[in-house]
Amino acid sequence: MVKLSRYFLVIIAIIGFGIALPKLYWVAFSHPIRAPFIQYSCVDHDFMLLRSQDGVSRTNSEGTTFTREEYENKLPLMYTRQLLMNNTMPDTIDGVEMDMHEISANRSTFRVRPREIDAPQPTLFPLFESQSGRANLEMPSDFFRIIWRMEFIDAESNKIDEEKSRMFSAVLYKRGFKFPAKSINGLPTTRKSCDEGYLIVDSEDQLFHLKMIKGEPFVKKVEIPDGLKFRWISCVDFKDKFYYAYLFSTDNEVYVLTQYDYMLVKLDVENINPEENEIRIYGDLFNYNIISTGEGEITSQVLNKDYKKVDEYKESWPVRDERSEGKVAQFIFPAQLKMRDSNSSFVRFFFEANKSFNWIILSLLLMLVQFFIIRKRKENIKNQLVDFAIIAATGIFGFIAVNFFPNKFFK
Amino acid sequence: MVYKEWIKTRWFVILYAVLGLSFIAYPFLNVQRDFKFSDANNYWYTIMFMGVSYFGSLKFVPVLGALAISVAQYFPETVSKRIKLTFHLPINENRVLLMMMLYGSICLVTCYIIQLAVFLGLSCIYFPSDIVMPAMTSVTPWFLAGFAAYYLAALIVLEPVWKYRMAYLLVTGTFVPLFFQSASTGAYEPVNLALAFLVIIISISLLFSGYRFRKGEM
Repeated sequence: MVKLSRYFLVIIAIIGFGIALPKLYWVAFSHPIRAPFIQYSCVDHDFMLLRSQDGVSRTNSEGTTFTREEYENKLPLMYTRQLLMNNTMPDTIDGVEMDMHEISANRSTFRVRPREIDAPQPTLFPLFESQSGRANLEMPSDFFRIIWRMEFIDAESNKIDEEKSRMFSAVLYKRGFKFPAKSINGLPTTRKSCDEGYLIVDSEDQLFHLKMIKGEPFVKKVEIPDGLKFRWISCVDFKDKFYYAYLFSTDNEVYVLTQYDYMLVKLDVENINPEENEIRIYGDLFNYNIISTGEGEITSQVLNKDYKKVDEYKESWPVRDERSEGKVAQFIFPAQLKMRDSNSSFVRFFFEANKSFNWIILSLLLMLVQFFIIRKRKENIKNQLVDFAIIAATGIFGFIAVNFFPNKFFK
Repeated sequence: MVYKEWIKTRWFVILYAVLGLSFIAYPFLNVQRDFKFSDANNYWYTIMFMGVSYFGSLKFVPVLGALAISVAQYFPETVSKRIKLTFHLPINENRVLLMMMLYGSICLVTCYIIQLAVFLGLSCIYFPSDIVMPAMTSVTPWFLAGFAAYYLAALIVLEPVWKYRMAYLLVTGTFVPLFFQSASTGAYEPVNLALAFLVIIISISLLFSGYRFRKGEM
């Protein structure tokens, strides 16, 4: 039992150091590479890249360097105010008149990160009155959840509003909704131009639009192709009011759901996976620029206003393990353990095995050191074989652990 | 044996039980005030969508109580190496240590169960299960940290060699923070079970120090 207690302590120490030492190492030696900011020039029909690594540089996709003014002139829909100030805003681009209201109405920005998806999600939502007749939205006094039925809970009393719950549940049921909800997606904030309710995926992956109009439920089933499943739905509130949401499918496709006519339109893009990569979508008068940024790679796919691809740019750089600090880490650590990961909001034991076997060299060296330590203590090597095995498997972490909790049972 | 442990720790246990309860009740005074000043629906909203936590002040309550009880229980044993007298009793030495550990664990479990029950009960008055359950998920590692701190503090206090005390302190310094990662409410859900398992395996760590102590390791 006492020996067992020692091995348990060794395990705890290995876990503790397996987390702390790599963390310290990366804090001290990490040199992250910043992804460039990619924009699409409607003037040159080319990608413009803004890099902020070791000073700011502005280039196009062929590497031609531009001054700040030249760069901004090539992106009139992004730097509109600056160009107006400089009197360099063009009157027309590709025959389209530059109307400030149109430019503003067509501008949109969207971002979703993996850590927003792999995160504890709320299960209660406020259902706003969509046609209150008021200029501003007001926070309702109750919140809803969709479990075996739709339930409204009054915040003041913390009690279920049975009448309202029954009314909304009945309408959902009549429209073919299969309880419970898999995901409830909306913009649960009063800081939006208007309320468009929620897009809800039911237990059979059907898509529904739900909102409240003058206290009554509005439920619309959205027709989606057979087998289509969504991994993430982000509702948006853009000025152009073209669509309700960006919908990311499990097949790494992106759709938009058009407003009022509920058309599910597939964007002509490939490999968009918001669970692994940060996705940004910039819309302007002429194009949509869909940017996917992952570990060591950035891709920009530009679509026209009919959602058809017109251009694509891809750039990659060495990932952490391929850089010098990563190579050194592979010699030091047999594996790395983390409680937090940049792609998740959950706390987990994130285990990252070493991609090479270089760490074995250090393990062998540490086993040799351990051999001399044991010889110095005048102990029998045969009684220390488990410790050698621990060092062989866990390298520096195990070496520290077995020496912090020395094996002196056989003295 | 148990009576001896009770004599050593009674005031600490009683004081912690009372203070712990008041610390648990304190955040609900804030909740009550916020319900009055900013309306219940707005307060619910800030919890669900703005990352506000109504129980953040409880973070170190379990670990502080555990440290107090651990030091009260084990420190007197190291003064003039009194624990060696205990080892001369006609009881198996490991059994003595496990009984001491079990006594401390039962004291902590009792205090923690009462605290968690009060926390759960008060939470359920103001919030629905959709808010209460993630809150319970978030406070669980703090209570587990209490047990971890108790066992590791016992290990450190009973260790006869200062050099190793420092080493154990270092291990504690890398291990206990695992329970206090800053994360959104409910984020500990995937890892709570694994942390509970680790806490269970270190519960017998006291035996290691006890062994070294009785072997007169210096």
